[in-house]
Parts: sequence; structure tokens; C-alpha cells
Amino acid sequence: MIVSSHPKRAKTGQYLVLLLYVIFLGFPLLWMLSVSFKGPRELVELYPSLIPDHITFDNYSTALHEADLVRSAVNSLKIAVITSLVTTMIGLPAAYVLARRRGLITRLGLGWILLSQMFPLILIIIPLFLLLRDLHLTNSHAGLILVYVVWALPFILWMLQSYVRGIPRDVEEAATVDGATRAQILVGIIAPLLAPGIVVTTLFAFITAWNEFFFALVILQSPDLTTLPLRLAQFVGIEGIVRLGPLAAAALLATTPSLVLFTIIQRWLTRGLLSGAVKG
Amino acid sequence: MRIGAFSPQQPAPDGATTAERRIQMRKVIGLGAVVLTGVLLAATAAQAGRRDTVKLTFATYVWQPTTVAATKSIVDSWNKSHSNIQVEIVPVDVNSVHDKLLTNFVGGTAADIIHDEAADIAGFTQQGYLANLKPLLPKSLKASIPNRIWDTVNFGGKITGVPSLMQTYNVFANMDILKSAGIKAPTLAKPWTWAQFRSVAKRLTTSDRFGVCWGLRSPTAAIQTMSLNYGGQFFYLEKGKWVFKWGAGEQAVVRQMHDMIHVDKSVDAAATGLSGSAVLPAFFGGKCAMTVQGNFSAQSMILQGPKDFNWAMFPLLKGKTQDQVANPQTYSVSQQSTHKKEAVQFIAYLLNQKNMAKLAAGDWLIPASPAAGKVARRSTKHPGSWKVATASVVHFRKGNWVSLAAYARWKAEVATPQFVQYLKDAITLNQLGDELSKGWDRVR
Repeated sequence: MIVSSHPKRAKTGQYLVLLLYVIFLGFPLLWMLSVSFKGPRELVELYPSLIPDHITFDNYSTALHEADLVRSAVNSLKIAVITSLVTTMIGLPAAYVLARRRGLITRLGLGWILLSQMFPLILIIIPLFLLLRDLHLTNSHAGLILVYVVWALPFILWMLQSYVRGIPRDVEEAATVDGATRAQILVGIIAPLLAPGIVVTTLFAFITAWNEFFFALVILQSPDLTTLPLRLAQFVGIEGIVRLGPLAAAALLATTPSLVLFTIIQRWLTRGLLSGAVKG
Repeated sequence: MRIGAFSPQQPAPDGATTAERRIQMRKVIGLGAVVLTGVLLAATAAQAGRRDTVKLTFATYVWQPTTVAATKSIVDSWNKSHSNIQVEIVPVDVNSVHDKLLTNFVGGTAADIIHDEAADIAGFTQQGYLANLKPLLPKSLKASIPNRIWDTVNFGGKITGVPSLMQTYNVFANMDILKSAGIKAPTLAKPWTWAQFRSVAKRLTTSDRFGVCWGLRSPTAAIQTMSLNYGGQFFYLEKGKWVFKWGAGEQAVVRQMHDMIHVDKSVDAAATGLSGSAVLPAFFGGKCAMTVQGNFSAQSMILQGPKDFNWAMFPLLKGKTQDQVANPQTYSVSQQSTHKKEAVQFIAYLLNQKNMAKLAAGDWLIPASPAAGKVARRSTKHPGSWKVATASVVHFRKGNWVSLAAYARWKAEVATPQFVQYLKDAITLNQLGDELSKGWDRVR
């Protein structure tokens, strides 16, 4: 191992690299922020600047009023929250069983979960639509939530079962010796230990539902039920013509809840990701 | 005796006898019955009224705010004047129209009235999803649109869509650059030929400026539309089968585009990888003297160009002719609709002279009805570009590819990638023809 003879200089270098990386990652967001405050003429300047020459709030006004962004945001939030809760409620006990029960059925189950991820979206959309139509669930949030839960569940099961495997069996055995039932073990012992993993997978389900476009496009018809990604698509026209200003403003507003959510739970998130990486 | 009951002769606590109470009770019941009957009759009448009202859904992909507003105002005015036929707009994402419609057709949940384009409805017609409007079209609507435009929506004798708005590909020029180079603009009477355009582009190319900026990321529509200048149809019906041909007419336009990029170097090669509208900053910034765009880009020139930007939209380029392929936006009626007659009535209203002009003005597209074109020209602040645009109506012809069901797949999977390869000089003209032909044999 090489140890630097100038620890201060090495640390400065590390921070510099980190800063460059953060700028690299954050630049698209910064650019989106800049674009959202520019007028239509400034948007097509040959040499664009990061700081707008004339700041305008017109793009935000267009995004909020013309596109009815608030109603769509409420719809998206409702769908994403319910999807993430339902997915986690189903996923947690199922993942526990998959992790703890060994045998042919478990192996087949895990294989099927992997296999189900391989079907392209375009292949399943029409049969899925027919199924929802027969259940009278087209053009409804309930139908969309059902699809999102089914869509997110395989990945969540796969993630959660690897988290469960990371928890030593001894803990459960000790609880069993003390007389705890399976349900008590799952709720009182496994769930708290799995908290970081649950946060990560719930967030995954939330983001999947929050960002999803194609299912919503096909299943929803009524403008009142529209979700955010569908609204954002309204700013993109034919032959690559984009109403860039309102799109940037709307996209920024649409990104904000995810950003806030990530900021609040980032500590859990890193712990969750790390614990998921450890195999039991 | 039950506790709390009264005998008939006994006075009730409020002083009235039981007989009197019975009479009062009968009056109350009688009155209640009359009121109830009235309410029921009124409800039945209202229900009958509701049953008589036809509700139509109208799936439209309009996306420009001006056109969205125009469509909404037309629908509102229809709903106001037709209380028995109410129309509800169902917005569709402009970039996913085909997928959305296909799913709805297959699922049996399609809207009554469908906004699409001629090239896309060919497949839906073949699959039987669209109603034949021929017997339902009012004479006035039929007469308002030229026959050669009706041809684009005539699929073996069935008319499954009403053509509305169309686009052309035009040269836009920075007039200050042209003037300083002493170049005269073409006129409707004396349009530029491809050779003139190529020569002017060369003359205007300097060390810090290109003659033309041309976004050719998806070049198929532009190439095929303009190839009709030389009669290039690409697809020909032979013995009941549509075959692909790669003759001089098909090669002329794409070869000249290629040579302008790689031989004359008058087209900015770096910009060819961009979308059409993405080259506008370079055009506005004076980095190129001309650009080729859909005629609707006139709107971007006005809204986004620098305030003192001196631009002009030129008449259609001329090969042997100025013909371009018409692929109009269309309004169709779903075969699943139970109110086809009413749906056609609404389409006729939506596309009357005044309303078609309103829609055209919103999108800066060319109305299929020449009379609507006149209205649009009269009501605009930019009569010059509208005059050029509406004068193009006589040059619209049916492109054979517009009515081929397998065309959309050929365009996406074969034509676009191969045209891009040729324009990048990665393959030869003959190789391009071979690939396009093999691709058609595979997908048709």
C-alpha cells in the first residue's frame, strides 16, 4: 500500500476530484434550472450562457397553468405512494419466505422472478390492456396502481430477499427460543433490521411509479387522471420540436419531490444499499 | 289495551280526535303521492333527455398551445350549439399516437373521432378499425378539398379519414446574408431549381459560415417527400404487389443532399446529426445562410428568431416539378363507434372553412381546403410566408408509400438508418438502394 507523504495535499486532491464529479453529476440539473428562467429567444442563442440575461417566470406560469401540473402531481403522488406501500407490504413477507425456505419451489420462484424481468414492455402491453379492460380497470388509477405493483414487485422481491439473507438466522432462532411466532419475528425483529432495505425498495417502487410513462399513456384517457410524465410529454412536439422553457420548468418542479425525498432518507439509502450488497 | 294507544273516541293529546288525524294523514299521504309522482315524471323526462344526448369522444394529438386553444374553442362552440351531441376531448401524446390508438382499437376502447395522419391510418384501415366515411361525408366538405388530396385517404375505394392540414419542406433564408452576396430570392413564379439551390449554397459558404444547415437525424420524410420533385415514388404496384424501385427519380434528391455535404461542403456535416429544429440557433446566429425546414418552422422564426432577424420562406424547390408528397393530418371515425353519423357531422364542423383556418394558423400548417387557406392568409400578420405556404397546395400529390401498411416499419427499421449511413458517406448510393430494397422485401 502506498501512503502519501503529503496527506493534506492528497486530501485536497480527493476533494477536488469529488467536486468535479459533483459538478459533472449536478450540471444537467443546473442547466435545467438556468433554461427554466430563459425566454424563447434566449433559448436558441448560438452561445448560451448559464446565467440568463433576462430572468423570466413565464415558463413556470405556463407549466403550472397551461399544463395543470398541480393536479397531475397530486395524481402521481397518490399513485406512487400507494404503489410503494402495497409493493412493500406484499414484498416483505414474500421475500422473507424466499430467503428462509430453501427448496425446489423457492428456486423455481426466484427463477420465475428473473425470467419475468425479461419480457419487453411492448410485448405485454396489449394483453395487459385487455385484461384490465375485462376487469373494468382501464382509465382508472386503481388499474395503473395494479400494473405498477406487478411491474415493480419482481425486482423488489429479489432485492429484499437478498437483504433478508444478510440477517443472521441466529437472531430468529433466539427469538423462537423465547417463544416468538413467525409473524412476531417478521414484524418485531426482521422488519426493523431490514429497515434500510425496505426504505431502498420502497423508494424504488415510488420512483418507478413516479417516472413511468408508457403504461400511464396507454391505460389513462381522461385528462383529470393524467400523471406528471404524461403532462411533461405535452411540451415535446413533432420532429424534435420542444418547448424547452416550459419543459425545463415543469421537469424541475416534477423532480423536486424526488430530490427532497432522497435528501431526507439518504442516510437510510446508503445503509440500505450497502446491506443489500452483503450476502448472508 | 296497548300502552300509549288511543280509542277512536278518545281525544288525542293535541286535542284532535283520531278520526280527524286519519283525515289529516290521508291528506299528507295524498300530497306526498302527488309530489312523488311529479318528481318521478320529471326524473324520467330528464333521463329520457339524457338518453337522447349523444356523447362523442375525440382523441386528438394537438400539442401547440395555439392549436390546443383553437381545438378547445371549436369543441366548446359545437357543444354550445349542439346540445344533443356533446363532444369530449381526449388528449393523446403526439409522439405516441400509433401505440395509443392501436391499444385502444385492440382493447375496444377507441374514441369515436380520431385525429391521426394519412400514412398511419393506412394500416388501421387494413385492419378494419376505421369506418368508411364515403357514404356519410357531406357534399360541401367533399367539395372543399381537392381530389388529389382526397386520394391520400382513399384506400381501395374506402375513405377512412378527412384530410385537414399538411406540411411542405421549404428553404428558409437569412435575407441579409443573401442581399450582401447579391443573390436574388426566388419567387412563386420563378422558384429555385435544385441546381440553383446547390449553386447558391456553394456561393454562400465561407470560412466561417455554411451555405446550409440541415438537421438530418431522421431524414426519411424529407427525402421521400421531396423526391417527388423528380417523380420518385419508391413504391410501385406491379401485378398486385407493391415493389420497391431505385430509379433516377428516387436517387436524385438524396444524391444531391449527399453531394452538398461531402463534395461541395456547403452543408454543415456536423449539424446533419441533429434534428431539424436543433439547427435553428446556428441559423439565427448567422453560422449558415439557409436551412431546410418544415414550413411550420415559420412559427419558430417569428417566436424565437432575434427581433431584427430578416428571414424569408422560399417557394418549393423544383426538380422536374415542384411536387411534394401530401401526408395530411386526418380525422377518422372508429369502426367501434355507435354514432358514426354524428361523428362525421362534428368532423364537418371542425373542418369548415373558418375552423380549418383556425387550426392551420395554430400549427402553421397548410389547410387542405384552398378556401380555408385564403381565410388563414387574410387573418395573419405574416402574409408573405402564408402566401408561399398556401400556394403549395397545387403541388401536393399522393405518395404511394402513404397508403402502405408496412411503410411505418420500413421507415423506422430500414430507411432512416440507411439514409443516415449514406448521408454520412458510410455507404454508396448503390449500396443504399440495395439495403432499402432488401429491407422492404423483409418487412412488407
